[in-house]
Amino acid sequence: MGATNWLSQNWITLVVPIVVFLAFFIVSIWGRKIAFDYLTKWLNKTKWEGSDLLIQTTKNPFFHWCLILGVYVALMISVLPMEYKDLGSKILATLFIISLAWTILSLAEKLIRRYISKLKTASPPIKLTINIVRIIIIVLAILVIIDFWGAPITPLLLFLAVLILVAVIASRDTLLNIFSGFQLTAEDVMKTGDFIKLDSGIEGYIVEIGWRNTRMKTLDESIILVPNSKLIQGTVINYGRPLKKATQPFRFYTRLHMKELTGLKATTLSELLGILKRAPGSAVYYHTHHFLEEYQYLTPEPANDFALWIGDALGDEILEEKLASIDIFQFSTISSLKAKIRDVIREYLLNKPAERVAPEGREFHFIKSISVVLPTPYVAHDLREFVEVLRKVSIYSLYFHIFEARLRLQRKNNDFSIWFRDCLEENDLADKIARLDPYAFTLEKLRSTIIQQIEKRIK
Amino acid sequence: MSKEIFRNPMAKIQDYEPIVGKDTLDELHMLADRLSGKVIQNINSTFTGGGVAEILARLVPLLNQLGVDARWNIIQGNDAFFDVTKRFHNAFHGKAEEIRDEDFALFLEISQKNIEELKLNGDIFFIHDPQPVALINNREKLGGKWIWRCHIDSSKPNKRVWEFVRSFVINYDAVVFSAPNFAQKLPVRQFMISPSIDPLSDKNKELSPEAIDTVLRKYELDTKKPMIVQISRFDYLKDPIGVIEAFEIVRKNIDCQLVLAGGTADDDPESGKVLAEVKERAATNPDIHILLIPPNSDIEINALQRSATIIMQKSLREGFGLTISEALWKGKPVIATAVGGIPLQVKNKLTGLLCHSVEGAAYDLKNLLSNPEYAQWLGKNGREHVKQNFLITRHLKEYMLLFLLLNHTSDMVYL
Repeated sequence: MGATNWLSQNWITLVVPIVVFLAFFIVSIWGRKIAFDYLTKWLNKTKWEGSDLLIQTTKNPFFHWCLILGVYVALMISVLPMEYKDLGSKILATLFIISLAWTILSLAEKLIRRYISKLKTASPPIKLTINIVRIIIIVLAILVIIDFWGAPITPLLLFLAVLILVAVIASRDTLLNIFSGFQLTAEDVMKTGDFIKLDSGIEGYIVEIGWRNTRMKTLDESIILVPNSKLIQGTVINYGRPLKKATQPFRFYTRLHMKELTGLKATTLSELLGILKRAPGSAVYYHTHHFLEEYQYLTPEPANDFALWIGDALGDEILEEKLASIDIFQFSTISSLKAKIRDVIREYLLNKPAERVAPEGREFHFIKSISVVLPTPYVAHDLREFVEVLRKVSIYSLYFHIFEARLRLQRKNNDFSIWFRDCLEENDLADKIARLDPYAFTLEKLRSTIIQQIEKRIK
Repeated sequence: MSKEIFRNPMAKIQDYEPIVGKDTLDELHMLADRLSGKVIQNINSTFTGGGVAEILARLVPLLNQLGVDARWNIIQGNDAFFDVTKRFHNAFHGKAEEIRDEDFALFLEISQKNIEELKLNGDIFFIHDPQPVALINNREKLGGKWIWRCHIDSSKPNKRVWEFVRSFVINYDAVVFSAPNFAQKLPVRQFMISPSIDPLSDKNKELSPEAIDTVLRKYELDTKKPMIVQISRFDYLKDPIGVIEAFEIVRKNIDCQLVLAGGTADDDPESGKVLAEVKERAATNPDIHILLIPPNSDIEINALQRSATIIMQKSLREGFGLTISEALWKGKPVIATAVGGIPLQVKNKLTGLLCHSVEGAAYDLKNLLSNPEYAQWLGKNGREHVKQNFLITRHLKEYMLLFLLLNHTSDMVYL
């Protein structure tokens, strides 16, 4: 009976808040509709990629916020004692902050997923970024709630600051690499497939840009992990996309040689001529080529051994000149070169019967060149790879592909030109390199000349 | 009887990279990889003293660092045995030595004792010089490939001794000589591998100006005058009197000084006499300094070479003459006679100057003293020539190539 009496006497104190609540709720829902219509139109105009996510994520929470607003206004106009109103408003505010935080968190998560997946990194750091954002939002929400309930937050803030500082210091390299990874992809300075060269001399193709490291494939086919921060902080030359791939890769070989003594020696021109007739091609090759390697620092390099010996030991400068002027580049086989040397000596002897004898200890000793050919780890699939390998292989590799291949292996052309023509269809470049007289250069000069020609073609 | 391989704490293989470059070391590693699993057994007669021990003491640890299982053992013998082998050595140089039948018998007896007592095993037996040459008689039991490395100038060997040694040499798979004119008529393959210098040794390493000054002060040399230096033991074959005569011709017109530095050899009774003659000849000329350098004075020799304006080697006869490479390595212009292995190191007018007489040497000295730019150019070329051809890394490469070539007979080998 007491309750009935109380209701009959105070019904208005109950009805008014309920009516106010309903009114505010209905108005809020109506306002929400208008606001969302305007928001949708505006977002459509801006063509922002995240507009659909913003609408979807905030629509339901807005309903909850309208409810909370209605309850709050009803509470405020009710006749409840102030301490209850105060308690109620704090609870409502807490609910609102939780809901708002949840909404922001949800929206942020969706936006992160959408945007990071568009980055050109191999394994984008979605989970890590979402976790970081979650932690930040939750911590902020908790701080606001605590503040709202009147508890002191300064010690907590200090604790958090220290915690963050420690975490940053502990993972500064990782963070640096992550930010560098973002910077690399955001600024679009390099992409998968680009050929890059670091200031440390390492070079190769980018296989993938990860969120901490970038994977590179070097010219000897090894995989190197480079921290992203190194790519941002150091000097990096980006040569860009690969060039046309060869139908067959070019494997660089190197050639080392041994001197085999034949025990054959000459003291006069006639003896030289006689031994030359039966001397193996490898001996003729040695005596016309070893100066290229042994005196590679000299320009012009000394003449062939036959000419030098005839000049130095026999003192015959005329024949020395005749032999020194034989243009080895004109010969494509050792046997034809040998025949030419013999012809020059034979012809000279016909008109000069008085023979000179080399002083004791100055005889001409026939030496054979034994070539030992080994594959290097370097392989080129296009001109850019080729030129970079050419910079770093030993001069003995260059020697093998230019001199040995052409004359000793009787390929009639150098290996580089053959590859340019047959596997890359670079006929002009092949011709240019083939026309170079390699005997007119030191090996290093020859290397730089070939590199220049290729670089000109690449540019 | 034999002492097992030692561990040498000398230079590391990577220490050579700043000098010869990474590509050279890469090639050494490529060759070493192909020798993986092979045991290379070096055998000579001593661990210390002499050029062979000196080079093995450097090469064997470097081979080990490259991953090659190179070992080094020595044969044992009594004084009588080593007296015989010393005479063999002299006979190889063409010196008239009386070798009796009992000397050959003693050589065979000690060799047989070594065959019985040496605990050897290997895939390649690398025998150095004549002392252990007869170990080849154990080939059937030990198997493997056998190489004889002749470090001696064998261009004019005593016929009787050579025939005796040759009877063993023909059973080897390969023979190695240091220069083309050392080669002999043999039914086995002969390779040429020149000796080398170690750029990191005391004799060749870079020295500070202070270290050089200390040596110059010690010998009271005038640092302001151009300095002509010949470093060699006091021996008629090094023609020190000829060097003084050439210097005196030049000194008439150009203010300079001559330094003849070297030691005397205990086993050469003539060296004291030569030194006395040289001192007497130089007594009246204050610009000639005769320096008797004690053994193992590598730093002092290095400092004298580095402070020289011109380095001479006016030998009348020479083996390989590796002192030329040491001089060239210091970037100094060199004047030398065209004997022995010198022309391999000095290409006339390109990496140095070759002379044939006192007058020729004097002419070259004047030429270089009057044209310092030309002298500098020759010195620069000379250093490059040594870098390409006479450093220990080239020696290592050729030894490994030699080991690998034992299984190939073609002139073109793919590995």
